[in-house]
Amino acid sequence: MLNLAGPVQSSVLTPLEASGRLRGLIPFNVAIALPAQLTVLGVVLVPTVIVVWLSLTDWQPTQGISWYEAEPVWFWNYYDLFHDPRFVAAVLRTLVVVVVCMAVEFMLAMGLALLFLDEWPWRKLAVSIIILPMMVVPVDAANAFFMLFNDRGPINYLISTIVGRPFEFAWLADPNWALLPIMLAEIWQWTPLMFLLVLTGMMNLPENQIRAAYVLGASRTRIFLRIMLPLLTPVIVIALLVRSIETFKIFDPVYILTRGGPGAATETISMFMYNGAFVYFRMGYIAAAALLILVLVAAICTALSRPLQRYQR
Amino acid sequence: MRLLKRSAVCLAVVIAFFPIFWLVSTSFKPIEEWQQFPPVWISSRPTLQNYRIVLAPDAARAFAERQNGAISYKVSGSAWKAFGDSALIACGATLLSVLFGTMAAYSIVRFRTGGDSYPFQFLTVRMFPPIAVVVPMVVLFSMLRLSDSYAGLIVAYTAFTLPFSIWMIRSFIEEVPEELEGAARIYGTPPLAAFLKVTFPLIQGGVLATALFVFILNWSEFLFALTLTTGHVVTVTLQVANYVSASSGKLYGVQAAMGTISTLPVILFGYLIQRHLVRGLSFGAIKR
Repeated sequence: MLNLAGPVQSSVLTPLEASGRLRGLIPFNVAIALPAQLTVLGVVLVPTVIVVWLSLTDWQPTQGISWYEAEPVWFWNYYDLFHDPRFVAAVLRTLVVVVVCMAVEFMLAMGLALLFLDEWPWRKLAVSIIILPMMVVPVDAANAFFMLFNDRGPINYLISTIVGRPFEFAWLADPNWALLPIMLAEIWQWTPLMFLLVLTGMMNLPENQIRAAYVLGASRTRIFLRIMLPLLTPVIVIALLVRSIETFKIFDPVYILTRGGPGAATETISMFMYNGAFVYFRMGYIAAAALLILVLVAAICTALSRPLQRYQR
Repeated sequence: MRLLKRSAVCLAVVIAFFPIFWLVSTSFKPIEEWQQFPPVWISSRPTLQNYRIVLAPDAARAFAERQNGAISYKVSGSAWKAFGDSALIACGATLLSVLFGTMAAYSIVRFRTGGDSYPFQFLTVRMFPPIAVVVPMVVLFSMLRLSDSYAGLIVAYTAFTLPFSIWMIRSFIEEVPEELEGAARIYGTPPLAAFLKVTFPLIQGGVLATALFVFILNWSEFLFALTLTTGHVVTVTLQVANYVSASSGKLYGVQAAMGTISTLPVILFGYLIQRHLVRGLSFGAIKR
């Protein structure tokens, strides 16, 4: 994972660099990268070692023994995980949330960005208001949605005025519908980011090509599909990548709105692991789940780092 | 067509603003109007009671007594401790993250430390769901006596914002031509001095934007605060989630008041660095 001995350009050591035993031992460029590297290692690598051990045990803090004294159960945790419908459902549910949120956010962002391409009065103000949601503290945003989707809240009031008869539906208490407010909160908060990314990408497009195509009589749809979309691909890829990774980790709105309930109907991966570790105290079991997720994410990231690297420059 | 466009924009603006409006509006409602149906859009009898419960300890205590002690002890304390704790932790972690991040970014850009794939190694931190690291971290922190401490949260926050710091500052340093530093180096200036005297003044605006950005992330963080503390350290986000009473569920108005206060600085900082938000949230990949 680490290759600290990369090509070093500072071949000539100045007196200041050469002085001191430490400076002689570690090249300057490595030394200044070290604090960041050590912090990350301390918070990621060391816990990962612990998680590997824990995942092989059935340790629960309530047993009254230390985690390193726990009795190993070897791979039974993994066996149990694969046969735990709640875990499998949480993984699938998270994937559904990611796909749905990405699709909706992307389409809304694309449509909105197209509206903001040309100059019009109040444009700047409108952008400022539309990007407000992404600045709200996520816990507060989730609370706002909790109030909005209350059975006696404004959303239901709005629906009853449209339908014309009283509508008092407890969104968050219904296993079939509780996921909707959660996804809406996520979409509401993060579509602005996607919008901002796409809009920035569109503003950076070379104008000449588009104008030339326009002069030559190409239709707007054609210009969008044949010129703008291909040029925007890197931006779109990055936006979708960054957002899907963040959405995969979704926790705050789930915790505030439903805590994974009713039952386990809205449990995403993060919520499943939180409930397992901090409500049922099954540390060993959840460690196994954590390791599985880490491996899964690492595999996806390795696969994705190549396109990201390509679009970086 | 133009009318259609305008109304679409108007709709987007209304939808983007409505939940925020609701939060602020609820924060001024007296207790009877919190869950009234049909909902009260803007209270005709606005009150500062909710803000008083958040900010004044005696108002909170009086409110808790009126609720027959059904509110947990934590709630009856004022939110000032939460603001102090959050400010301390967020500032500390931001400082460390930006300092370490600048150093690492400089090393990566100017010395190509670790090769081309090295910076990606930091990104993986951001890709792991934090909850997967939390379980072992709870164990590790209790061993190191870091659980429920400021230092513990600062370390966690620093590590998890480092990817942003490194990638954002890296993109700023890359915009400064290497030749500028080279010129200084020819005269025998050591690299650190060359960086501080030549490059840093040119990127300090960017570093400040990065710091504000990282501060926003730290201030809004919830999961680590929830799992790595047990009551001694209380962050703003925890305090918001704490306003729940046993008898009447969530205390809408109080939560809204706390939410309004805690979101205000974030929105302020967000607009200050609006130009750089895109760069930050795309890890420096998309620039304006």
